[in-house]
Amino acid sequence: MTSLDAGTAAGGGVRFLGNRRAYWRLLMRGAALLMVTLGIYRFWLATDIRRFLWSNTEVAGESLEYTGTPLELLLGFLVAIAILIPVYAGFFVAALDLGTIGHLSGLIAFAALGLLGQYALYRARRYRLTRTIFRGVRFHQSGSAWRYAFCAVFWWSITALTCGLAYPFQIASLERYKMRNTYYGNLAGGFAGSAFHLLLRGFPMWFLVFAPLLVTAGAFIEVVDWKALGDALSVGADDVMTRIESSNPALGSVVVFGMLMGSVAACAAALLYPAFQALVLRWWSSGLRFGDIEMRSTLRTRHVYGAYMRFLWYAILFSIVMTMIGGLGLLLAGSIGGSPPAGPGAEIAVTGVLLVGYVIAALGFSTIYRATVMLSLWQLGMESLQLSGLSALDRVKATGRPSSALGEGLADALNVGGY
Amino acid sequence: MTSGAGIFFDGKTSARHNAMVALSASGLEIAGHDGRLLAQWPYDEIEGLPAPANVLRLGRRGNALLERLEILDSAFAAAVDARATYVDRTGTLQRRQRTSVIGWTVVATLSLLAVAYFGVPAIAERLAPLVPVGIERKLGDAVDMQVRGILDTRNAGMAFECGTADTEKAGRAALDRLVHRLEAAAALPMPLRTFVVRRTEANAIALPGGQVYVFQGLIAKADNADEVAGVIAHEIGHVARRDGTKSVLQAGGLSLMFGMLLGDFVGGGAVVIAARTVLQSSYSREVEAAADRYGAELMNKAGGNAHGLASMLGKIGGATEPGMKILLDHPETKARVAAINKIAGTQPTSPFLNNAEWASLKRICAG
Repeated sequence: MTSLDAGTAAGGGVRFLGNRRAYWRLLMRGAALLMVTLGIYRFWLATDIRRFLWSNTEVAGESLEYTGTPLELLLGFLVAIAILIPVYAGFFVAALDLGTIGHLSGLIAFAALGLLGQYALYRARRYRLTRTIFRGVRFHQSGSAWRYAFCAVFWWSITALTCGLAYPFQIASLERYKMRNTYYGNLAGGFAGSAFHLLLRGFPMWFLVFAPLLVTAGAFIEVVDWKALGDALSVGADDVMTRIESSNPALGSVVVFGMLMGSVAACAAALLYPAFQALVLRWWSSGLRFGDIEMRSTLRTRHVYGAYMRFLWYAILFSIVMTMIGGLGLLLAGSIGGSPPAGPGAEIAVTGVLLVGYVIAALGFSTIYRATVMLSLWQLGMESLQLSGLSALDRVKATGRPSSALGEGLADALNVGGY
Repeated sequence: MTSGAGIFFDGKTSARHNAMVALSASGLEIAGHDGRLLAQWPYDEIEGLPAPANVLRLGRRGNALLERLEILDSAFAAAVDARATYVDRTGTLQRRQRTSVIGWTVVATLSLLAVAYFGVPAIAERLAPLVPVGIERKLGDAVDMQVRGILDTRNAGMAFECGTADTEKAGRAALDRLVHRLEAAAALPMPLRTFVVRRTEANAIALPGGQVYVFQGLIAKADNADEVAGVIAHEIGHVARRDGTKSVLQAGGLSLMFGMLLGDFVGGGAVVIAARTVLQSSYSREVEAAADRYGAELMNKAGGNAHGLASMLGKIGGATEPGMKILLDHPETKARVAAINKIAGTQPTSPFLNNAEWASLKRICAG
C-alpha cells in the first residue's frame, strides 16, 4: 500500500520524553505498596514501569505503546506456580531417596532450574515483544524457547570455563538467535554485531580484572610444595591447618598476597563495570537490524559513569537518613523493655525494628537504582541511537498475535527476569 | 469543538495517515486528507491507551486489529474525552481501579496470614497420620544425616553414640530397660530407637521415624532415673503424635505460601524468613505443651513418677528444642511445670531403675 500521507522523515532519531520526577513518584509508591502487600503488587508495578518507559520513548516521531496488563502477569505467574510445584515436590522426594539420585538431586535441580530459567527468559521476551505496539503494528517473536534455553546453558558454561573470554561469542550467538526470530509486523529482525570486535574492545578490561588473579594462581603453583601439602591433607582429621602450615612455610605469605590481589581485582571490576556496560550496550544496539532499518549507537561511556555517580549520591543520602531514623527506632524499641533494655519484649521489638529497617533499606536501594542507573541506561541507550532506512516504516504489514504471559510468570517464580 | 486533526494508523500497515476527526452524534468519524472515510468508532467502543503526557491515544476496545488514533490538540482531546465512555484522560478510573487492587491485595495478604496461622497446622495435623510409617522412616534417615552433621563434633575421636564400648554396655542395658517399660505402655505405631549421644547440653530430641537422641548433658544433670524417663516420655510424645512429620509438612506448606506466592521483591526474603520463624515457633509452643501432657500421662501409665519430667524441665529451663531462646523463657517454663505436676497426681510410683542400674546409666558415656 502506498500512501501520500506524511512520509517518515529521512533522518530519524529516538527521543525519551519521560519526566524523572513522575518516574520517582511511580517507583516510590510502588515500593510502599510492595511492602504493604508482601510483594503481590509487583505485577502492577512492573506494568506501570513498562508503560512509562515504552510510551515515553519516541521513535521517528511516534511513541511506543505497551499493552500488557497486570492481570496477564498475575495469571502467568499462577500458571507457572502450578507447573513448578510438582517439579519442586519431585526434587524433594528425590532428595529423601538416599541412593545416587538422591545425592545428585541438588545438582540435577540446579541444572534443570537453570534451563527452565533461560526458557522463561525467552518466553518472557516474547510476551513483552507481542505487547509492544508501534504505529498500530505489533512486534512478535518466533523460534523455540527450549532450543534457546539449551544454547544459553551451553554458552554460559563455556563462558564460565573460559573465565569470561567467551562472553562476546555467547551474546553474539544468543542475540543472533533472538533477533533472527524477532519481527516488527512482517519486517524481520537481525543482528550484525561482531563477537571479535567486542572481544578486542573488551579484552583490556578483562585483563585488568583477571591479571591479578592469574598472578596469584602462578604464585601458588610456584611456592606451594604440593607433595608435602598432599601428605598433610591425607592424614586427615585434627589439626590439618597446623600441619599444612609446617609443611609449607611460605604458604601464609602467598595467601596474604592472594587476598591482596583478589581485592585489587574486585576494585578493578567495580570501577570498570560501567565502562563494560556502556561498551556492551553500544555494541549491542549498533548491531540491531529490522529489514533495511539499521541502528548505530553513539553512547558515551562517561554518561554511564554519570548515572552511577547519581546512584551513589542518592544511596549515600538515603543511608545517612536511614541510619538516623534506624538509630532512633532502636532506642525507642530498646526502651520498651524498660531500662536497662532487657527481656523478651525489648528483644522482639528490636528484632522487629531491624527487620522493617532492612526491608525499607533493601527496597529503597533498589528504587534508587531503578530511578537512576536503569532509567538512565534506558534513556541514554535510546537517545544515542541513530536510525537509518526509516522509509521502510511506511509499508510494514501487520502480522503476529499476542502470546501468553507464562514465560513472565516462570521468570518471576524462578527469580530471573529483566524490565 | 466538533472536529480536529489527528494521526491515524489503520492497524493493517504501519503507514501514517494525517486525518480529520469529526465528532458526530454517535461516534468518531475519521477521514483521510482526501476526505475518504477511514474509520467510524462509536463512543462506547473507544478506549484510551498509554501514551506520552501530551498525546491522547485511542483504540477500539476488544478489536484484534490495532487501529490507533492520536490527538495532539489538548482542547480537542478534552472534547473526545467528554463524549467517549471508556476514555480516562484524567486517570480517575485508573485511580479507582488501583485503590481496589490495593484493598484486595491487603485482604489477600491477611487471609494468607490467617491460613498460615490456623490452616497450615490444622492441615498438617490431619495429613501427618496419613503418611505411611515407611516414608516417615526415610524422612527420619534424611533428617538424621543432617542432624549428625550438625551435632557430631567427634571430640577426642570418640563415637557420637554412647553405650558401644565394653565399659558402657551396662549403661546401655539400663537405658534399654527404661525405654522398654515406657514403650510397652505407649503402644507406638513404629519401633523406638533411643541413643545417648556425646553432647554437653542438657537436652533431648526426637526425629521423624522414631529416633530419640538423649544428650549426655541431660543424664549428667538428672538426679534420678525417673527424671530421664520423664524427658524420654516427652520425646515419645513427639514420636507418637508424629510431630517430626508434621513440622516437615508445616515447613513445606509455609515455604510454598511465603516463598512462592509472596515475597518476590527486594528485601522480601527477610520478611519471609521472619514470618516463617514466628509462625513455626508459635506452632512449636503448642506442640511442646501437647508432648508434655503425653509424657506426663505416659509416666502415669507406666507407673513412673511424672513429677520427674517437671523437675527436669525446671532444671534445664524448658529448652527442650535448641535455638528457641526467646520463646521458651521462664514464665513459659513455670506454666509447663505446673501443668505437668497437675497431671502427675500423688499415686504411688515405682522407680524405673534400681541404684546399681542408675549408676551404670550415669556412666553410659564413660568411654
